[in-house]
Amino acid sequence: MRLSFQSLPDDDNLGRFAYSIRVDGEMFIRKGKMIAYFGSMKFEAVGSSLVDILFKEAMNAPMHVNDFVVVQGQGKLVLGDNGLDIAAYNLEDATFTLKAEHVLGFQRTLRCQESTLPGYLTLIGSGRLLASSNGPVVFVEPPCRVDEEAVVGWADLPSPSYRYDYQYVQGALAAVGAAAGITRSGEEKQLDFYGNGTVLVQSSEDALGRPGRLASIVAQLTGLHASELQQLSREVSGRMAGRS
Amino acid sequence: MPVYTQVNEKVLHVTLAGEEVFARKGSMVATKGDVLFARSFLGGGGVQQLAMRAVTNEGIQLMSARGHGEVWYGHRGLHVSVVPLRGERLCVEADNVLAFDARLRAGTSFLGSQGLRGLASGVAAGQGLFTSTFEGHGEVALLSDGDAIGLEVTSSRPVSVDPQAYLGHKGNLDSTIVTDVNWKTLLGQTSGESYQLRFTGQGTVYIQASER
Amino acid sequence: MTTFRLTNDRLLEVSLQGEKVMALAGAMVAYDGSVRFEKSMTGGEGLLGALKRRVTNEGMALMVASGTGTVWFANQARELTILPLRGEKLFVESRSLLAFDPSLRTDSVFTGLRGAASGHGLFTTTVEGTGNVAVMSFGHLLEFEVGPGQPLFVDPDAFVGHRGSLAQEFVFDVNWKTMVGQSSGESYQLKFTGTGVVYVQPSERK
Repeated sequence: MRLSFQSLPDDDNLGRFAYSIRVDGEMFIRKGKMIAYFGSMKFEAVGSSLVDILFKEAMNAPMHVNDFVVVQGQGKLVLGDNGLDIAAYNLEDATFTLKAEHVLGFQRTLRCQESTLPGYLTLIGSGRLLASSNGPVVFVEPPCRVDEEAVVGWADLPSPSYRYDYQYVQGALAAVGAAAGITRSGEEKQLDFYGNGTVLVQSSEDALGRPGRLASIVAQLTGLHASELQQLSREVSGRMAGRS
Repeated sequence: MPVYTQVNEKVLHVTLAGEEVFARKGSMVATKGDVLFARSFLGGGGVQQLAMRAVTNEGIQLMSARGHGEVWYGHRGLHVSVVPLRGERLCVEADNVLAFDARLRAGTSFLGSQGLRGLASGVAAGQGLFTSTFEGHGEVALLSDGDAIGLEVTSSRPVSVDPQAYLGHKGNLDSTIVTDVNWKTLLGQTSGESYQLRFTGQGTVYIQASER
Repeated sequence: MTTFRLTNDRLLEVSLQGEKVMALAGAMVAYDGSVRFEKSMTGGEGLLGALKRRVTNEGMALMVASGTGTVWFANQARELTILPLRGEKLFVESRSLLAFDPSLRTDSVFTGLRGAASGHGLFTTTVEGTGNVAVMSFGHLLEFEVGPGQPLFVDPDAFVGHRGSLAQEFVFDVNWKTMVGQSSGESYQLKFTGTGVVYVQPSERK
């Protein structure tokens, strides 16, 4: 199928891995996810003054603000995310929490805040949201337990808590030994969801990893005292030495 | 018996009514109901023990899920396919096994020091001694980089496969390792690709769309 | 002309009845029948092309498969598209080329001053003539139609190729720097004007 300025949809998927949006005004998109566009558009960092005034209401997540830009102008914009599946969600007076790196774009009618769970963003209100996932999203109704690597997000649910599988932990401790810690495999520690809502699940993250997780850890360092930073540095060096 | 359903190309759904399913460690994506997960040990006996040994010997750790409920499995966005066995024998590289259960007799087949793929690619790393085999009536869920493709082999139509793309095979097949002098000079230093696996007989060879 | 067929989105099936096919070395995943694989020193572009390629880094290691039988090609589980050429010239990034008909002429051409920051070659590959070309992309390939007065802007990492009468420019946009994603050091977009088709992958992965 040939895609021209005219034939590109205003707001729809182009197959599984790309999404076309008619830009007429402003919206937030994740940096680097624009793959092509027709028309006249400007991409501005959220740090620039004009944009700040316009969007301080919508973007309330300082740790993640540098990951997004504001698109302004007129035309058709196509987004892609490393060949991951892309889906659009129409939120109506909703609370939707997503792994930060899976948030590809959203309308300024939504308010974006940091979740209490590091590395997650919460979108509140009504509007359009674009999110990516490793394979099509599987919707699971709570109560359920989900491997954190496989969580895309959840809608209209309280924040989950961690649940350890006691038998598994016991087995792991016996086999590996307490000194080596519990090896992270996903089975012994899961996110436990309760309530009336939906959990969005994918196949676990691929080898590209999760840049959002590191960013959120780094952002938290600002709250640490010098002695705590030294302690952290020793901890990191110890881990590095142990690994090599 | 456990019911295997493919939710999409990357996620497998299994319903449990008291049975036990063995899966690659770390591949549980989500679960509902009353399901207990346990690291699988070599203790015990019977079919399950054999199953354990078959796969763990190859360096792949398993976990079992037992109880009443649902489990979703997936692994790093790799494609999932369910291979039905109707009395045939499936040989498969251990790191491509996602899930199976006690309906199948699991075993090992000695194919040289590194399994078929390892043997062919001449990798020296100590990965394992056996290739897994499954036999009987039931399903095995496999992981592959891109869709798993089954190539039919008949007596008049042998197939040669790149060892890196090889996943497994079922039926009555003989495999030989072919060294192609041409091929060696073609790819120069990359030793792994100077060999091919040649299958003759009657059966199916599974390949993936990638040379991992 | 050699017959190309997609077994599925990620696997190319080429039937040979005495013909040949040029392919990325190492991309054969299986074959049956009697097929011979040899190294190809040139992509069919002659000595000058080979020399240029050595200089430009746009080169790819090619092999030629010949004989009677079926050969299956794949690479990194990337999505594949067959582009049939009928006398036109296709510009394509060599990293996206999987296989092509040996009757097609290939060359490498200078495409401007990009790459200074990106590590891209200064050259791109051209394929010209009549026959099939199989290209790879991370995610299904998108085909954008460019017409008069409707230029298309493309992220260089997502760019795969183009054909038709198109002019390619590099647009250095100060604001574009704010768009820089992940590890890439790009601070420009590709702008296409004229009439033709631009091929783009839905991914910024090179």
